Amino acid sequence: MTCDESLKTQAYLDGELDAADALKAEAHLENCAECQALAADHADLKAAMAGAPYHRAPAALRARIGAALDAEAKTEANVVPLKAPRRSGFWLGAGSGAGGMAIAAVLAFLVFMPANNAMVADLADAHVRSLMGEHLIDVASSDHHTVKPWFAGHSDISPPTEDFKADGFTLVGGRADYVHGTRTAVVVYRHGAHVINLFAWADRDARLPGTSSRDGYRMVFWKQKDLDLAAVSDVDPAELDRFVDLVKKSQGRE
Amino acid sequence: MDEKRRRFEALAMPHLDAAYNLARWLTRGGAEADDIVQEAMLRAFRSFDGFRGEAVRPWLLAIVRNCHRSALEQKKRHAAAPLDDRDDTEIAADDPTPEASAIRHGDGRELNKALSTLPEEFREVVILRELEEMSYRDIAVVTGTPIGTVMSRLARGRALLKAELTGGSHDV
Repeated sequence: MTCDESLKTQAYLDGELDAADALKAEAHLENCAECQALAADHADLKAAMAGAPYHRAPAALRARIGAALDAEAKTEANVVPLKAPRRSGFWLGAGSGAGGMAIAAVLAFLVFMPANNAMVADLADAHVRSLMGEHLIDVASSDHHTVKPWFAGHSDISPPTEDFKADGFTLVGGRADYVHGTRTAVVVYRHGAHVINLFAWADRDARLPGTSSRDGYRMVFWKQKDLDLAAVSDVDPAELDRFVDLVKKSQGRE
Repeated sequence: MDEKRRRFEALAMPHLDAAYNLARWLTRGGAEADDIVQEAMLRAFRSFDGFRGEAVRPWLLAIVRNCHRSALEQKKRHAAAPLDDRDDTEIAADDPTPEASAIRHGDGRELNKALSTLPEEFREVVILRELEEMSYRDIAVVTGTPIGTVMSRLARGRALLKAELTGGSHDV
């Protein structure tokens, strides 16, 4: 037999209640034998746990992690200079005259379009797969405080995860997915009967198509900070644009 | 040291002890705690660019917890040996000071043993609350569950642990 108020009492004992609720809990505790027993157990356990050893990280481990982080930082730093000169050097150089611009545009079309088409196809496939029922959501939650840390542990990407329920787009969860040879973090929203998959992956300096559609699904691409994003859905195009605007604005707030 | 590395050193590394302590308790004092913490710190560093302003500790501990979970799943999938086959030997290496042993239930070994009888979902909330002294809200972040679930699991976990520690009846 457990008193209906036992979770409240526990919250009071844990110091989780505000002043008003704490007063109520105290009053209840005075008259409830069950909650009094709970309070006694709570104190016993607290005393028992107080003697528990606290394990500090050994110096050797600390040093090992420090070295691993230094190596990681160096690897990341090396990736940037490789990309940057190509963009500012080659492309700006090629684009210094109008003719150069035209050449660059044609090159960009030739180089990036096939990749884009494959990416678009793979995104559409991933979207459809997710609707087939077996793998829409890895973490189901409408609380972005829950979804965000989940991504931290399950992908290397931290996508925007704000809930836009007030605007008609409800956050329902997230999953890790593999699209076009790239690890992506996918944030899942519902809009009425429609599902919107918001894919995010690390920006690799690839050109994005802007908008595209495939198999009746519309996609909006954009870059945000160091991420590439794609919203995919069969929702009304105007609604999808509105959703994309909300996500962009939310990132400004973060 | 570059800017990101410096920021990580200043904001995340102060919680390395908390990360290690959590890993040690989650792994029942196992030696794999070292690898879990290192993996967690690297993952945290990689996703640190996307990290903005929230509390660092629950965020970091959530990653430690997730690394522990995946290690556990991997073990379950690959190793035939049941998890509970190993405890006393490894835990024995984790001897607390003689003073701590004197406290009957405060003994790390006994506590570890009692804690290891708890199912994972109860064990982790008890550890986070009692040993890391986290708020319900932060525990919800770390475990990826609603606060209401944290509260009921905590109540159940404490009752189970209390029964185990007092060696009394298990009919909680």
